[in-house]
Amino acid sequence: MSRTFLACLSVLLVAVPSRAQETEDKDPIAALGPADLEHGKLLFRAHCARCHGYEGQGGEGPSLARPNLRNAPDGPALFGVIQNGIPTRGMPGAWQIGDREIWQVAGYVRSLGRSTVVPSGDAERGRAVYERAGCAACHTVRGAGGALGPELSAVGASRGAGYLRESIVDPGAALPPALWPEAPGFSDYLPVRVVTRAGREMLGMRVNEDAFTLQFRDAAGGFHSFDKRDLKTLEKQTRMSLMPSYANALSASELDDLVAYLASLRGRE
Amino acid sequence: MLVCAITLTPALSAQVPYDRLLRADREPANWLTYSGDYRSHRFSRLDQLTPENVARLRPVWVHQTDNSKVETTPIVVDGLMYVTEPPSTVTALDARTGRPLWSWSPTMPKDVLYLGFPPTNRGVAVLDSMVFVGTLDAHLVALDARSGALRWDIVVADNSVGYAMTLAPLAIDGKVIVGVSGAEAGIRGFIDAYDVESGERLWRFWTVPAAGEPGSDTWGGDSWQTGGGSTWLTGSYDPDLGLIYWGIGNPAPDWNGDSRPGDNLYTCSLVALHEATGELAWYFQFTPHDTHDWDANQIPVLVDAEIAGRTRRLVVMANRNAFYYVLDRTTGEYLRARQYAKQTWAERLDARGRPIVLPKTEPSEEGTLVWPSLQGATNWFSPSYSPSTGLFYVAVREMGAVYYKSETAYRPGAFFLGGGEQALSGDHASGAVRALRSTSGELVWEFPLHSPPWAGVLATAGGLVFGGSEEGNFFALDAVSGQALWQFQTGGPVRANPISYALDGVQHVAIAAGRGLFVFALP
Repeated sequence: MSRTFLACLSVLLVAVPSRAQETEDKDPIAALGPADLEHGKLLFRAHCARCHGYEGQGGEGPSLARPNLRNAPDGPALFGVIQNGIPTRGMPGAWQIGDREIWQVAGYVRSLGRSTVVPSGDAERGRAVYERAGCAACHTVRGAGGALGPELSAVGASRGAGYLRESIVDPGAALPPALWPEAPGFSDYLPVRVVTRAGREMLGMRVNEDAFTLQFRDAAGGFHSFDKRDLKTLEKQTRMSLMPSYANALSASELDDLVAYLASLRGRE
Repeated sequence: MLVCAITLTPALSAQVPYDRLLRADREPANWLTYSGDYRSHRFSRLDQLTPENVARLRPVWVHQTDNSKVETTPIVVDGLMYVTEPPSTVTALDARTGRPLWSWSPTMPKDVLYLGFPPTNRGVAVLDSMVFVGTLDAHLVALDARSGALRWDIVVADNSVGYAMTLAPLAIDGKVIVGVSGAEAGIRGFIDAYDVESGERLWRFWTVPAAGEPGSDTWGGDSWQTGGGSTWLTGSYDPDLGLIYWGIGNPAPDWNGDSRPGDNLYTCSLVALHEATGELAWYFQFTPHDTHDWDANQIPVLVDAEIAGRTRRLVVMANRNAFYYVLDRTTGEYLRARQYAKQTWAERLDARGRPIVLPKTEPSEEGTLVWPSLQGATNWFSPSYSPSTGLFYVAVREMGAVYYKSETAYRPGAFFLGGGEQALSGDHASGAVRALRSTSGELVWEFPLHSPPWAGVLATAGGLVFGGSEEGNFFALDAVSGQALWQFQTGGPVRANPISYALDGVQHVAIAAGRGLFVFALP
């Protein structure tokens, strides 16, 4: 796929650009017309909206309604991200669309950046909410906290505000995707109840699974490797989470503030 | 030539005359053709491995490649194993130790096109003293089986407009049969036969008829010119009837059928061709006017069995569209079919096997949820038929998808799709190995898989069914009950078909997994 990317670069740009030359060379995104952007929107909805939101506001994937995208500082980088995905972060490459369509999607994504969606709360007050609510018992931020749940140091860079809100009020609806390359679409932190043939019952989380084995972490964080033949019961609790809902524990403004705080956690930028 | 023949030791002379291929099932110590024999049973008559001893099966050697997309099915001839490595390399290995003997790679352009499939290769064919391979840039190449020296190299089609080859060729008497990939780029598909000595093309069957030819009235306007109908999977052969059986892929553009009104023959069909001339004997279309990319590029399995008190010559196929079909392979007569996986697109099939399509199952701008997904309830990976159990074993994908439709225009060498698809994967999907009664498709047992598979199955006379999973498991099931008896974690997804062969009476089983080729035997 990188071969195709390089071929496209050589066709569409006069020369390999340095930063200084970029404004002189033809910018394929600048060359797009209204019909291209319209088509780009349709393609975005078909291929991208599932993770990035119908209006690009983010969801399971980050919001694209920002003037600067960390992984796509310029047109060619944005083209590359759309074409190849970011496998280490769970974004698939867009194998189904050709080069011209990728530029149309890129143009539409750039247009989203002109309307910036900002969470409404206050991140500093949100940090205090995070501490009061005891989130650090299970989550790590910048090296501090527990390890039962996902690390949150860069969660604001990976997830949109709507998803962050949902993960607080309805965690079972927003389990993060597992990032094993061969496991598209599986949920990480899936709650699982097992009963062994010896009669021992445990509630915990799936870490990994295949047709014959289950890798499992119990609610105290202990690790277990099971052969499925040794399990009498293996109950996957879909749409649930070991994390409780904080819908009733937080006021509306506390929730807004906490979402703003999480959205501000962007790792190393 | 004569001097060479005298100095070759019998143990290393890989001579496979047509006669050996015809009677491939009589020498189960070898695996002479992609599907084991021309009937494509993928059944091993070796019986050393049984439900009682298979738990002791262990790896004996591994061959590693540079590439993770290994989808090859090995060929084994008299102690030599031929595998292909992505994109189009042929390697000969010592089947006893796994040590490479020779390797050949084509010189291909850096920007070789492969639109809609991985840059991989599914295996070679052998005949006489030659090995045949189809390359990603749509060349057919003949190599010397002993040394890997090039015998001839011909261009089958133009890769720059999207034609490619990933399939294992089929070698019959004096000819090698190949198909092409590329329907996602709007190519016009065909099946070709080439002379094994010279590489001269003997005949071509176009899978999409030109204006005025029979079947052309099933294509509106000029849509036949970019009609698709790829032929990208190895077919089967009945030497008594003189018929080649080959599956045909989807029409183009995949998800938007507006520009191609009509049934779009012969896409999503099984065709039977006279092997001497390539002329059409009969066809059966599984999915008329397909808009879900449900190629019929699955293995046509030739079975002789009793139906209604009479022995019939059958061809059975588990189709991507979730139906299992039983046809008469002499005439193409539809006998019966049965759903073998979840499907939400057809109310039923009519008395001639034509689907009665449910409303609102076509792709749409806002997205339409349908089972199965575009990859289908099964796909190219092989099923297996056991004459001992009478069962048809198939690896099944249970996954739905949201199908989208959009406008598109044809451009040579570019995607020509007209939409997209978002699959409901992960915990919303699953897989299974299912055993179906071969004459009816009735489910006898199933073994659940964690995710939809890309691995084929192999049944053996010892009473086992071998299969693989995306999570790296290579496993053996009891052929009668489906109970799991053994598994090995290979560490990479299994996206290939198993074979079995024997050396000095010891049964071996081989499977490509991840970037390796694993071989197992009892200690």
